[in-house]
Parts: sequence; C-alpha cells; structure tokens
Amino acid sequence: MKNRYGFVIDVSRCIDCRACLVACSVENNVPMIHTRIWVKDSGVKGQFPGLQRTFVPYNCMHCDHPPCVEVCVSGATYKDPNTGLVLVDPEACIGCGFCVEACPYDARYLDEARGVVDKCNACLQRVEVGQQPACVATCVGGSRLFGDLNDPASEVSMALKNARSIQRLDYEANGHDTNPNIYYINGDVLESGFLPRDPRYNIAEEGWKKVLVPAIFAGIGASFLVQATYFTKQLVEGEKEFDE
Amino acid sequence: MAPPEITRRGFLKAGSAALGALTTSQFAFPPAAQAARTHHLDADGDGYIPTMCEMCVWRCGVLAKVEDGKVIKLEGNPDHPHSRGKLCARGQSGLMNTYDPDRVLFPLIRAGKRGEGLFRQASWDEALDVVARNMLKIKEKYGPEAMIFSSTHNLSQVQFENLLNGYGSPNYGTQRSLCFNAMVTAFSLTYGVEEPSRNYQDVQYILLTGRNMMEAISTSETGEMVDAISRGAKLVYLDPRYTKTAAKSAEWIPIRPGTDAAFLLAMIHVIVTEQLADCEFVKRYVVGCDDLPKAMENYTPTWAESITGIPAETIDRIAREYAAAGKNALAHPGWRTSNFINSFQTERAIATLNALSGNVLTPGGCLAAESPEASGVHLGKPPQPAYPRVSALRLDGVPWKYPLVPLKLGVFQELRDAILTGQPYQAHGWFISRQNPVLSLPDRQRTLQAMGKLDFIVVVDILLNDSAWFADVVLPEASYLERYDPLAVVDGKIFIRQPVIEPQGEGRSALWIYKQLGERLVLGDFFQYQDEEDYIRQQLAPLDLKLEELKLKGFLIPQIDTENPAEPVFNTPSGKIEVYSETLGDAGFSPWPTWEEPPYPKPGEFYLLTGKVAQHTQMGTQNNPLLHKYEDEPRLWIHSDPAWKRGIRTDDMVRVSSPVGEVKVKALVTEGIRPDCVYLTPGYGHLSKGLRTAYGLGASDSDLHVTYTDPISGGQALSQTFVSIKR
Repeated sequence: MKNRYGFVIDVSRCIDCRACLVACSVENNVPMIHTRIWVKDSGVKGQFPGLQRTFVPYNCMHCDHPPCVEVCVSGATYKDPNTGLVLVDPEACIGCGFCVEACPYDARYLDEARGVVDKCNACLQRVEVGQQPACVATCVGGSRLFGDLNDPASEVSMALKNARSIQRLDYEANGHDTNPNIYYINGDVLESGFLPRDPRYNIAEEGWKKVLVPAIFAGIGASFLVQATYFTKQLVEGEKEFDE
Repeated sequence: MAPPEITRRGFLKAGSAALGALTTSQFAFPPAAQAARTHHLDADGDGYIPTMCEMCVWRCGVLAKVEDGKVIKLEGNPDHPHSRGKLCARGQSGLMNTYDPDRVLFPLIRAGKRGEGLFRQASWDEALDVVARNMLKIKEKYGPEAMIFSSTHNLSQVQFENLLNGYGSPNYGTQRSLCFNAMVTAFSLTYGVEEPSRNYQDVQYILLTGRNMMEAISTSETGEMVDAISRGAKLVYLDPRYTKTAAKSAEWIPIRPGTDAAFLLAMIHVIVTEQLADCEFVKRYVVGCDDLPKAMENYTPTWAESITGIPAETIDRIAREYAAAGKNALAHPGWRTSNFINSFQTERAIATLNALSGNVLTPGGCLAAESPEASGVHLGKPPQPAYPRVSALRLDGVPWKYPLVPLKLGVFQELRDAILTGQPYQAHGWFISRQNPVLSLPDRQRTLQAMGKLDFIVVVDILLNDSAWFADVVLPEASYLERYDPLAVVDGKIFIRQPVIEPQGEGRSALWIYKQLGERLVLGDFFQYQDEEDYIRQQLAPLDLKLEELKLKGFLIPQIDTENPAEPVFNTPSGKIEVYSETLGDAGFSPWPTWEEPPYPKPGEFYLLTGKVAQHTQMGTQNNPLLHKYEDEPRLWIHSDPAWKRGIRTDDMVRVSSPVGEVKVKALVTEGIRPDCVYLTPGYGHLSKGLRTAYGLGASDSDLHVTYTDPISGGQALSQTFVSIKR
C-alpha cells in the first residue's frame, strides 16, 4: 500500500458545531435526507450539576478489513490499494444495499435517486489536488485531522505520537478485527455509547455468496419477467381503453 | 512610507478615472460579477473567487468555488484573520442562502391586507417610486422624524445611515439594545473602548460569563479558545444551562440567573481585601483603586453565596486562582449580555476584574484596550453635503430619558413602544433593512400592534421574513455572494465582498437600492457614486490602492505608519481605567460597580432563558435548507425534577405562558439546566408563510418576552421574563 490514509480525531476539541456536516453535504452533493458523516452525542450524562457530555465525530472508518467489501456482490466496493481508502465504484454498484447492512458503523447509505450506495470517500477529489477533506478543512475546533498514517511526519502521525490517549472503535467480524483507520485521541469514546453494532447478516463469509449471488440474479431475472409481462399487459389494456 | 496625502484633487481624479473606466448604466451592474470572474476563473469559467461571509456579523474571509456560473462550495480564506481557512456550519451553508427556493427575486407590492401575505410583482421603477412617494408624503405632512429607520449590523449600514440622516430622521433602531448595550456601555465608561479585543496567546485562566463561545461561534475566537483549553488553560464558565461550552469547561458554575454580578463583586472583594491584585499596574492606571476595598466591603463570598447559590468557598477559590494567573487571566467581556436590568453592573464588574489582573496593555496580557476595528486604516468615502439639522426628540428616549446610553446604540424596544403610545409624537412610516423586528423585539404582539398603526412599511431583504410579511413594499436585495458592499478593515488588512455570481432574479445591492431611493428623495448629493465599484474606488483612493488588485487577492495591506504610544491613555475623562466613574455618579447612578437586586420568579414560575445554537444566526437563517438538515429540533429545555412533577416527558407539547403571551412547544427533559429555569431554542416560531422551510417549527421567545429596559445602558433584559409551564 503506497499511502494509508486515515483520520485522527481529537475528541477533546469537538464542539459539535456541525460545520463538518454541512461542508461534507455541499462538497459531495449528499441528498438532503442522507448524511455521509456524523457528530455523535453522548447526551448529558450524570446528575445536575455533576454533568458530562462527549461529542464524537464519526464517518467511514476505512477499515483494513472492511466487512462491506466482503459482502459486496458486484465488486463495486473495494479497498483502494493506492490510498487505503474504502471506495465505491458507482458504475459497478447495483444498489443491493447488503454493504449498508454489513457495516458495523452504519457509515453507508443507499442513494435511492441514483440507485447506488454512497459513503465517505475522504473527499478523494480534494485530496488528489492537495486539499484536505471538506470536514477536516473547516473543522472549527481543530478536532478532525486527516493524512497518511504510513508517513511518520504527517500531521496525523504526529498527533498520535503526542496524544494523551488513543482509542479505536474496533469490531471483530468474521474472525478478524476490522482494524478501523479512525483513531480517537484525548477522550473516551468507548463510554460514549456508540460502539459498532453487529452486522444484520448472519451468513458465513463464503457460504452466503454461493446462496445469494444466484438468488439475486434469479431475482433480477424474475423482476424482468414481471415487468415485461406487465408492460405487455398495459399495452394491450391501453389499446382496449383507446378502443372504447 | 508616510501615509498618502488625501487631497481633494487626488480624490476627484481617482473618482473621474473610475467614471471613465466604467460604462454606467443604472440597471446594468451585474457584469461586475463577470469581471470578477475573469480574473479568477479558467477558460471553462471555473475557479475560486475571494469574498466575505455574511451568515453572521463576524465576516470571515471566503473563497467561493464557482463552476458554470454557480457557487458550488465555500471555503474559509486562510488569509483572513477571522476565518483562517475555516468556516462554521452557517458559513458552509452560505450558498443555500443564495439558492434558497424562497428567495424574493422581484420587488413586491402588497396586494391584500397586511399580514395576509398577498403581494404582486412590480418593476424596480414602480416599487422605488411607491417607496419614495410615501416617504416624501410622510416628511411633508408630519416631518422627517415621523419616519423610522432600522437595520442590523452590516457593511452597507453606512449608506443606510446616510439615507436616514440625509432624510433628516433621528429615529434609528438597531439590534444593539437587544444585544450588547450592557457590555458596550460599561466598557466605554470604564476603559473608553466599546469592546476590547481578547488575546488568547498566553491565556491561562478564562472566566466566561454571558458568552456561550462554543455555540455562539466566531470562527477564529472559538477556535482560539479551543486551542487554549487544549493547551491547558482553565475555563471557568458561568451559565444556568449546561451548554456545549459548559461541556468543554473545566468548571461549570450553574449560577442563578441575574446574579452573576454578585459572584463577580465577591471575587473583587477577595482580590482587593487580600491584596492579590497587580498593585503596580492598578496604582498607575486605575481610578478608584485606593477606595475599592471600602466600596467592596460588604460583598463577601458568604454574602454572594446567599444570592447566587454558589458556595462561598468556591467563589473564594476562583478569585484566588484568577488573581494568581495575573495578566494571563481573562474575564471575557461577553457579547449578548443584556440579560437583566442589572447586566450593566455585571459588565462593570467584569471590566474591574480585568483591570485588577493587569492584563490590559501589558505585553502578553489577555485584554487589549482597543476595539477589534481599531487599525489606523482610514478609508475614503464619496463626498457629501452636511446632514440637515434635526430638532425633534428621539423616540427611543436617548438621551432625554436614557442619558448614558451611547447615541449610536439607542433603545430599540422604546422606539417600538413610542409608535404605540404616539408619545412624544406619532411615527407614521418604517423603513426596515436586513432586520426582522417582528421576531427580535420583545413582546411580539406589541410590535405587530405598532406596525398596525403605521401608514407605510418598506422592507429590504433577500427573503420574505416575518417583518416583510407585514410590509407594504418588499425590495429584494442581492445576496452576499451576488453583490458588492463597502470594504471592511480587519487587523490592518482591507477586505472586499464582491459578487461571485450574477444576482438571482432582480436582486440588487443595498448600495444600489439606497442610491436609487436617495435620488428619488432628492438626496442624490448623499450618494455620489456611479455604482458599487465606483464607491469602493473612492474608498481606496486616499490609500492609493487599486480595486482590480483587491478583487484579485480579496484583501490588501495598506502601508501606514502606526505610532506606538509611549504611555497607554484610556479614552475616559481621567485618561485612566475608571473603576470609579464620576460620569456615572453625576448622572445619579452608583459610581462604583454595585449590586442591584434583580427580580426573582414566584414559586412555580421559571426564568425563561434565551441563547444561541451553532447552526443558526438569530432569527435569520432558519429557512436555510442545509442548516435545517443539521439543526436540532427546537424544544423547551426543562429540568427533570420540575418536568416529573408536571408529568412532562421529552417531546410532550407544553404550554409556556408569560405575562404577555403563550406558546406551545415540544419539551426536552434534561439534567442540563437549573431546575428553576427553562430555555427556549431561539430564532424559531416564524409567522411568515413565505419561509417554507422554517414556517411551523418551534416557537418564538418574542411572543413571551416582557419589555424591561436597563435605565443605564438601555439594554433589553432578555432573561428577566418569568413563565409558567403546563402540559
């Protein structure tokens, strides 16, 4: 892997202003009903006046072992060898949504209008021209950092070196750790209540593809048949109406 | 280099050169945006154009990404000291301010009854003629003072003021008395400066009251405070509500509303009786330091405990910690500080605490005794005649009723009440520009009644806001991405707001609108500029700077000699920091910072708190679809104990009643607020159905706020309304 891009998030610096969310939506034309990134909020914890509240910036973890890639039937979702980012090829995506269910971080959504799955791509279009991802560039509190984790001199590597604490939201799926590439520093995110969830699939890694892939193609075929029948029927009925 | 000489001749030359260069057609200024683009954009018409944000009043520098004549993304300008490459949520959403499907794109003339929302589209000529005819009629029949003008902090305000001063009305309403009158009046009297700048470079201890910095965001200052905390500075935060700032503070003090002054006076008491202050600094620069221990004698921490509900030992400890940090301590002046009628005293105590720490004017000190605007850069302006003499009293009572309120601050709520009472005379017209008094003034019913008494109301805005909904004529402004405004100076740099796209519909800049009206009101001499670019060229002329270069870079740094005064002099009568103020004494008020007992709610009543959210600016951005996407649902915060007693659960609809009104709103049951307080998310409860995104959301505190005015600063006491809550 040439680069291993990842995020370091200084939890102590996030003020939940949501500049990152708006910036991401504009940069990536995210539909109004969807979001690619989040700021999760622990809510007010404790009893008045001994209170605590933690804000956890959140997006695709760009895992080293991404469960979404493992379930992708069309090969649209892949781990990019040059950047280390988990990306979706919209041309190849058939919009089946299995990856959405499989991601333990809920970091993906189905863009109904385009019929494809979408997610954080670390604003690769910006990174390629030397800019920071939109969320990082505008982060008012300086909480979101992005860069090459393989480069010991990068801002993210330096931040990890100087951190008071480092946590990750690891999840064990199919026998190995997801190895997420978001590192949370200077704050406790494991207590914030946003641990990864279990995937909504219980089919073993290899086994399900054998069952489902043919099933999907059968499904597509069937829907074609139904549509064709319906179309023909409409044609006939339409003509009938016309005759009357 | 010596400052360039400003001569009348040079001035005219620059002006006429500008004239020659421009093809001037009154209605054809849009090519300006095209011109801006040719500098920055590639052959495909794509690229970045520098300009300035207007989603709040902080005015961050913006780089607007343009593609095919559309703005597709906004970035913070790294060269601007307010943005430093970043924009907040509001700044990032700015393109939807321009592309809001509810934009008013053509001049509108009312076609139904006021408040029915029926308008017809008109041409600019017709709309401007109607406005001018009505304004001339009012002037002729009742005198110019019968016309009220009001506007909120913006770069074109200088030409709005030209219009009202040229017209000859003394009646000008701004947001100031609903916002920072207490701070500005107190710091003007104590330091001779309206709002001192803060320096976070070496800050170790921050005492924050009246400023929810993590939600009332000023991009650079909020970032600096986060940096300071990250570096290890201690933030002590006084607020009855557990805000996001509280979540980031080392110590949250849930103080009883209206009693901050008692807390701060007790801190002063500890510092002066224990002699913990920077004596050398205080003796040299502070008036009243010898008698201060005597004046603060009764304000012991034990006394303050009985008022604030904060333990005496906590107050004592914080006073010692604050004093120990010396010049690296900062008692933040706050911003929207007019909460109680004693808020002026709170601000006087804050000013005193800063003086005692010696943080003013010392190297590395945390408070600079100058305004953020002070920079020594003096822009030119178009020539104009003297304003007509005004003999009528101001309807807002300044200075005949409020002798210490600075003339330019005014008392807006009093102005509104004078429309209703007709005293000392009756107003007949209201010109509102970029402001929404229907939601910003307390006691909305009174505001609507006042509007009902007027013969003519005109509103300039980009949306059909709630005040425009009740107007007779609405003039559509170009959005901040579509127009020029007068220049802004920040930290010695001159910044430009320039059009990055052509205006939608027939939107026009304020500079153009005021000039057109000025000419129709026979006040053309007050608007001696051909168009927006000519206006800016005249601003640049004395500094020998070129508009083209400014447009290209977004900012210019003028060469000026700045003199460093050998000895600091404060702009007060004594030239020193006036902890003891004879001006106050002479006007019949206490010359010392002093305790004034605020009213308290009756049992079963709650303090109604207002505040800020990071996704919105006052009541002006709720219709922005991008901010709507990421805002929290507006609800009434209530502590779990009183909620439980009333059977209220989160998302239940509750009725909130005050002496002047009642609203229904969803509840949010939380531990994060004092049990004697409720907090209503501000800025919602819109009346205008022309705001299709915002209409129907939340409730407006202007429906509940009782009008209470601080007699010294003129500030509206925005947290002094008490309410009862029913399920």
